[in-house]
Amino acid sequence: MIHHSTAPSFEFNDIGLADDQYAVRIRNLSHHFGTGDLKTQVLYDINLDLKRGQIVILTGPSGSGKTTLISLIGALRSAQSGSLKVLGKELVGLNKAQLVEVRRNIGFIFQAHNLFDSLTASQNVEMAVELLEDWGEKRAKAAEILAKVGLASRVHYKPKALSGGQKQRVAIARALVNEPALILADEPTAALDKKSGREVVTLMQKLAKEQGRTILIVTHDNSILDVADRIINLVDGRLESDQSLETFVNTHDPKSLDRRMFIM
Amino acid sequence: MRTPIAWLNLVHEKTRLVVAIAGVAFAVILVFMNLGFLGSLAKTAALIYNQINADIFLVSPQALEITTTKAFPIERIYQAAGVPGVERTMPLYVGYLQWRNPITRQSRAMFVYGINPNDPVFVMPELRSPENQAALRRWDTVLIDRLSRPEFGPQDIGTVTEAGRRNVTIGGQYSMGGGFASDGTLIMSDQNFRRYLAPIPLNLINLGLIKLEPGADPQQVKAELQRILPKDVLVFTRQEIIERDRDYWISATSIGFMFTMGVIVSLVVGVVIVYQILYTDIASHMKQYATLKAMGYNKRFLFALILQEAIILAVLGYIPGFIIAVGLYELTTRATAGGLPIGMEVSRAVLVLVLTILMCSISGLISVQKAVTADPADVF
Ligand SMILES: Nc1ncnc2c1ncn2[C@@H]1O[C@H](COP(=O)(O)OP(=O)(O)OP(=O)(O)O)[C@@H](O)[C@H]1O
Ligand SMILES: [Mg+2]
Repeated sequence: MIHHSTAPSFEFNDIGLADDQYAVRIRNLSHHFGTGDLKTQVLYDINLDLKRGQIVILTGPSGSGKTTLISLIGALRSAQSGSLKVLGKELVGLNKAQLVEVRRNIGFIFQAHNLFDSLTASQNVEMAVELLEDWGEKRAKAAEILAKVGLASRVHYKPKALSGGQKQRVAIARALVNEPALILADEPTAALDKKSGREVVTLMQKLAKEQGRTILIVTHDNSILDVADRIINLVDGRLESDQSLETFVNTHDPKSLDRRMFIM
Repeated sequence: MRTPIAWLNLVHEKTRLVVAIAGVAFAVILVFMNLGFLGSLAKTAALIYNQINADIFLVSPQALEITTTKAFPIERIYQAAGVPGVERTMPLYVGYLQWRNPITRQSRAMFVYGINPNDPVFVMPELRSPENQAALRRWDTVLIDRLSRPEFGPQDIGTVTEAGRRNVTIGGQYSMGGGFASDGTLIMSDQNFRRYLAPIPLNLINLGLIKLEPGADPQQVKAELQRILPKDVLVFTRQEIIERDRDYWISATSIGFMFTMGVIVSLVVGVVIVYQILYTDIASHMKQYATLKAMGYNKRFLFALILQEAIILAVLGYIPGFIIAVGLYELTTRATAGGLPIGMEVSRAVLVLVLTILMCSISGLISVQKAVTADPADVF
């Protein structure tokens, strides 16, 4: 069932498509942490293409390298070897300042909302708009996106006065307000109960479909798999499977799926 | 407009903000007080000489400042009187005298100026009133400085007490101030001076005062005086002797050093307090800073953010610090009955503001090291 091969773990069926059909193209990407004796490899020869407009879920056991992979794609870490093209730009070999530039085109949603307690929902979202130096419209833009995530009546609330799910929705609004072509989310529902987790993901799906965004979600939460166009499984730093929801569910009986996902 | 995140972060934590402002204000007050005393040292020197009606001063080379002089022969001013450009020369005798408070019977040292009653030694116009002139010429009668400390007792005209074991009567009043070296001053005639401070012969004087004719060049007269006078006296213009006294207080005594150290220590304390506050603030916002970096904000933005917080703290702390310092200056002036001329000056207010901003910026620069290490890879 598990293919441990260094070869690409799946076929590229869109070889003929132009580069700009893809939000992300990864070739032979490996990643190591540490140096010398402490050097350990966490990603092995990853090959992966994410088509624009797709919602992709990345699952896998704890410690398999999901966060590492998504932070490489998000230009939060320097990619070391292979090729990593995000929104048409090669990230391998970029310096820190260049990585900062790349990040401006990506929306990030984290497990923790990481909002400034001192700023209102609107001001937190405006911080993202200000990156574009869009001073005139920032308030209107923030209000509009907050309305879209269902917080029209909470625009001027500070995080303290919002529920966990509402805070996460503010964080989503912040990630989406600049209409990034690529949205990366690492366990966005982990801090939420089932119902608000579900709401948050449905919301992301709706906004992505409306605006044609590419979304990559890392999750352990089986109940949200149905929003995905595609599910990728990462095991021990290798891409194990790449399939549509049906095949994923069919080939992974719930028991073994759960077991594998929560193995340390 | 950019969201004023530095400001919002600071005002969000009210208690922390109050502590920070109090800390900065504390440092500001200490700096103001130290600089104030240092400044009044300088002013005191000027204050006394500016009341003396002379353009050139003769003193013994062993004199340190006006209250620590060494007497020299009165012939020197007779010699000086012959120099072209000199209008008039006057002897000035100075010394300390134990003055008894007639009410508490406690004795304290008064600084005494002895003058020839016919000489216009001081510029204070009230000394020329017929009453004061008459009083100066009476035996065992003195004029008392209104700015003398209250511990010396009543200053009413006619008050009789003891000075140097002799009876003395207050015959009049004037306002001058004793500065750093004395808590109170008296003016008396040279004849009285000789008796109260016996055994002092009047042919040995402490200062030689030289008044120039209108239009005479002080530097030229000074050069001529230096040429003709023996080496037992030094010749100074008014500005020079003021500077000499000031330098003595500031450099030769530990007073200047003490106040300078006071300023430095206060600033270091301020740096530490502000650093503590900023560091705590940064530590509690690392996730948010990392998020800002993930969103695409660069190091420079975080750098500016922390520096802004530092400068806001500087200004917010400076304002109450300034107000309290003005109050303390007032209090000091009152406590010393005006003898210690300590007051707010624009240049000092600006200097301290700059020092405060500098102090907070140093704290900001130290603590910003942590903020810029916020790693966007850590937030996932
Ligand atoms: N900064 C780091 N330095 C050294 N090793 C690291 C670092 N970050 C992660 N690792 C290691 O890399 C491996 C992959 O970690 P990663 O966080 O990518 O896993 P994950 O799939 O996201 O796990 P989880 O589901 O628990 O979040 C783990 O063995 C981890 O110990
Ligand atoms: Mg992870």
